[in-house]
Amino acid sequence: MLWEIWGRHKVKFFWDGAALAASCFFVFWKNHGASQAVGEMLGCATFFFFLGGYGQLLVCLCNFEVDDRTMQFSFPRRLLLKPVSTAWLVLVAMFSGGTVIVTIFVLWAELVWRHVAGFSASDLLWTSAVLLSFFWWMQALAWSLPLPKARMLLLVLMGMLHYFVWRMPQMRANAFSGWQWPILFALLGSAVPAAWIGLKRMRQGSWEGSSRISELWSSVRIASARDRQKKFRSAFAAQFWLEWLRQGWMLPGISAAMALLIVAVFGAVTWVLRKVSGNSWSGGDPETLGLTYPFILALLILPLQISVLLTPVLAKFDRVQLSSELPVYIAIRPMTNGGFVLAKLVMALATSVLTWLVVAAAFVCLILMDQDALLSKAGLVTPLGPLPLMTGCVPVLLLLIVWTWKNLVDGIGAGLNRYAWIGLASVYWRMIFLVGLFPLVETARTNVIFRETLLHWLTTILIACLAAKIAVAIAAFGWSLRRNAITARAIGWIAGGWLVCGLFVAGYAGHVCSAIHQPGLRLWVALGGFLILPLADLAIAPLALAWNRHR
Amino acid sequence: MKFPSPSSAEAVIAVSGLSRHFGTKTALNDVSVFVTRGSVLGLVGENGAGKTTLIKHLLGSLKAQAGSVRLFGLDPVRDPVGVLGRVGYLSERRDLPGWMRVDEFMRYTQAFYPAWDEAYAGQLLKQFQLDPAQKIKSLSQGQQAKIGLLTALAYRPELLILDEPSSGLDPVVRRDILEAIIRIVAEEGRTVLFSSHLLDEVERVADHVIMLQQGRVVLNGRTDEVRGEHISAVLAFAEPPAKTPVLAGAHAVAGYGSEWRVLFGGSHLELETAAVSIGARVVEERTPTLDEILVARAGGKS
Repeated sequence: MLWEIWGRHKVKFFWDGAALAASCFFVFWKNHGASQAVGEMLGCATFFFFLGGYGQLLVCLCNFEVDDRTMQFSFPRRLLLKPVSTAWLVLVAMFSGGTVIVTIFVLWAELVWRHVAGFSASDLLWTSAVLLSFFWWMQALAWSLPLPKARMLLLVLMGMLHYFVWRMPQMRANAFSGWQWPILFALLGSAVPAAWIGLKRMRQGSWEGSSRISELWSSVRIASARDRQKKFRSAFAAQFWLEWLRQGWMLPGISAAMALLIVAVFGAVTWVLRKVSGNSWSGGDPETLGLTYPFILALLILPLQISVLLTPVLAKFDRVQLSSELPVYIAIRPMTNGGFVLAKLVMALATSVLTWLVVAAAFVCLILMDQDALLSKAGLVTPLGPLPLMTGCVPVLLLLIVWTWKNLVDGIGAGLNRYAWIGLASVYWRMIFLVGLFPLVETARTNVIFRETLLHWLTTILIACLAAKIAVAIAAFGWSLRRNAITARAIGWIAGGWLVCGLFVAGYAGHVCSAIHQPGLRLWVALGGFLILPLADLAIAPLALAWNRHR
Repeated sequence: MKFPSPSSAEAVIAVSGLSRHFGTKTALNDVSVFVTRGSVLGLVGENGAGKTTLIKHLLGSLKAQAGSVRLFGLDPVRDPVGVLGRVGYLSERRDLPGWMRVDEFMRYTQAFYPAWDEAYAGQLLKQFQLDPAQKIKSLSQGQQAKIGLLTALAYRPELLILDEPSSGLDPVVRRDILEAIIRIVAEEGRTVLFSSHLLDEVERVADHVIMLQQGRVVLNGRTDEVRGEHISAVLAFAEPPAKTPVLAGAHAVAGYGSEWRVLFGGSHLELETAAVSIGARVVEERTPTLDEILVARAGGKS
C-alpha cells in the first residue's frame, strides 16, 4: 500500500521536495549575506514555498482518488478488494501518512522555522499535534462522505476549528486555559473511528445509489425544472450558463461563507467583550476599534486572495476536470475560441460583482455591530457624515470589482493551455509577486535610503513596465491574429476597454490624490492602474485555447 | 475502387497526404481519404492503427503536421464554427458533463445548432427511453451512448462521425445505434463516417471501407469490392508440408497436416495458379467477411 501511494505520487513528491528544499535554501541565503530588502522577500518566499510543497504533500498522503465517471472523491476503490480488514487499510494510511507529515514538519521547523522565528519545544509539539489531527480529519472526511459539497464545507470548518485550536495557547484572554490538550486529544481520538466507520460504509456499498439528501435535492430540481425549460437565446448564453453553474458561484459562495464567519466571530467577540466589561463598552473604545480593523481587513482582502487562487479553476471548463485537455463535449461545439473565452470573461465579471455585493453587505453588518464606532472615527476624516462617506465608497467598490476580475482573468491564458504545470507556475508566480509586495512596502517604510532610491527610480520603473506590457500585448495580439484565434475587432474592444478602465482608475486616483493633497502620487497611481489591468492575457487566452483545442 | 478525386465538388471529406507524428511514433503516414456526399464510410483497423487520430483531424482537434484536411471544403482548424456546425460526433469516450441532467444537456447543445429539430429530439428521447430529469452521471454506459447519439443527430448534421460508438455496449444498445444510423442514411441520405472494431456492424451499414494499419491506408474501396478481391480458401496437399507453406498473394495461412486455410488477395485464377505452384489444390473457397480480412491483414502486417 505504501509502495502504491509512492508510485502514484512520486512526481508530485519530487516537486514537494524541491519546494521544501527551496524553502531551506531561501532561509540560508537570507541569513548569509542577503540585503535587508532581499531578506524580507526571501522570508516570505520561504514560507510560501513551504505552504505550496507541504500543502500538496498533505493532499497526496490523504490517499484518495477521483472517479473518472462520477468525479467522486473516495478511498482508492481497488484497495477495497484486497483481502485485508478495513481497520488495517485505515490504520496503515493514517499512521504512515501521519508519520511522514509530522516528521517533515519537524525537520522543516528545525531547519527553517527556527531561523525565521524562535519557538520552544512545546510550541513545536503543539503545532505538530494539531497538524496531525487536521491531516487525520482530512483523510476521514475524504473517505467518509459521498457528498462532495458537504465534504468541502466540513473540511473548511474542520480547518477553521484546527486553526482556532492551534491559537488557543496564544490567546490573551486565557478562557480556555487547561482545555487545549483535552480538546486536541478528542479531535485526534475521534478521527480514526470516523475514518474507519466511513470506509466500512463505503466498503459495504453504502455509497452506491443516491443518498437521501441527493434524492431530496433531485426532487427539488425536478420540481423546479418546469421553470427552466426555456431555450437559450444564443450559444453564448448557453456557454455562460455552463460557466456560471460550474465556476461562477464559487468566489461569491466562498466569500459569503467567509463573510458570514467573520461577521459571526466578530459578533460573538463583541458580545463577550460587552459582557466582560459589564455592558459599558462604548463605540469609541480604542481597544475595540483595534479589534474591528483586522476583521474589516480580512473581509476585504480574502476575496482578492481567493480570486488569485481560483484562476486555474476558472480556466477549466469543469472545476472537477482532471486533465487540462478540453472536454470533448466542449471542443466539438461550433463556437470560436474567442467566444469561449468571452463567456469566461463575462462570467468572471459577474462573479466579481456578486462577490463584492456580498462583501459590501457583510461590511455594513460589521459597521452596524460596531455600534457606529468606525463611522464616528471616519467622521473625523470626512465631517460630511456617514451617507456621503458610504456614497464615496462606490468608486472604491468599482475598483475592487475590477481588481477581482483582473485577478480572475490574469492567468486565464496560462490555465487554458493543455499543460497543467504552466497554469500552476502562473499561480505560484503571481502569489510570489503579491506576497513580495508586502516586504517591499515594509522595507521602503522602514529603510530611508531604500525608500529614496525606490522613489527616485519609481517613475522610470513604472514606465518601463508599462512599455514592456504594451510590447508583450502587441506581440500576443499579432500572434493570435496569425493563428486566427482572435479578430481585429476583438483586439479593438480589448485595447479600448483597457484604455477606458485605465483612464477611469487614473482619473479617480487623480481625484483622490488631489483631495488628500498628494498630487505627486497621481502619476504613479495612474501608471499603476494601467499596469494592473490585463491586456496581453486577453489576447493570449484564445490563443492558448486554440493550442489546446487544435493541437 | 478508389474514391472520387480531390477535385470532386461532391467530397464532404477530403484528406490529402495527411501525416502525424507523436514524438517518434508515426500515427498517420500520408493518408488520403475522400468521401462523397451520401456515402457511409467504415473506418477499420486494429487498436493504434490511427483511426481516432484521423477522426480528431477531421474535427479539428488535431492540426495537420503535413498534408491537408477539408470538410465541406473548409479547414476545421481555421474555421471550427463553419465545420462543426455541420458535423455530428459520437465518441467512444463518453465525455459528457455528468453533473447536467439529460434535458439540460439537450438544451445546452441545442443552443449551438440553429437547425436543431425539437420534434425529432423528442422522438429520439422517447425511442431511447431516456428520463429527461435524470443526471447524466447516473446513466448507464448504454444510456450515455444514447444521449450522445441523440445530441449528435437532433440537428440533422450533414456529416455524422461515429468513433467506436458501440464500444463496451450490450447488443441491444448496439442494435439501437445501428438502426439509427441506417435510418438516417436510408431516409435522409446523409454522409456517415463509422469507425468500429465490430466489423459485422461495418459490413452491415458501410458502402465503403478504409482499413488503416500502422498509420497507413492499406485498403480503400467499396465494401463489396474489398470482400470480392479476397478469397478464403482451403488448400489440400498430397503430403503434409513440414512447415507453414508460403503462398504468394496470401495474407494469412493457417492449419496443420495436409489441409491449410488461406486468405488470399486476388482472383480465383490467381489463387489456382499460386496453389499449383506449391503443390496444392483448392478444395473449398468462399468470399471472406471483413472481419477475416482485417484479422488476416493485421496478422500479416501487410
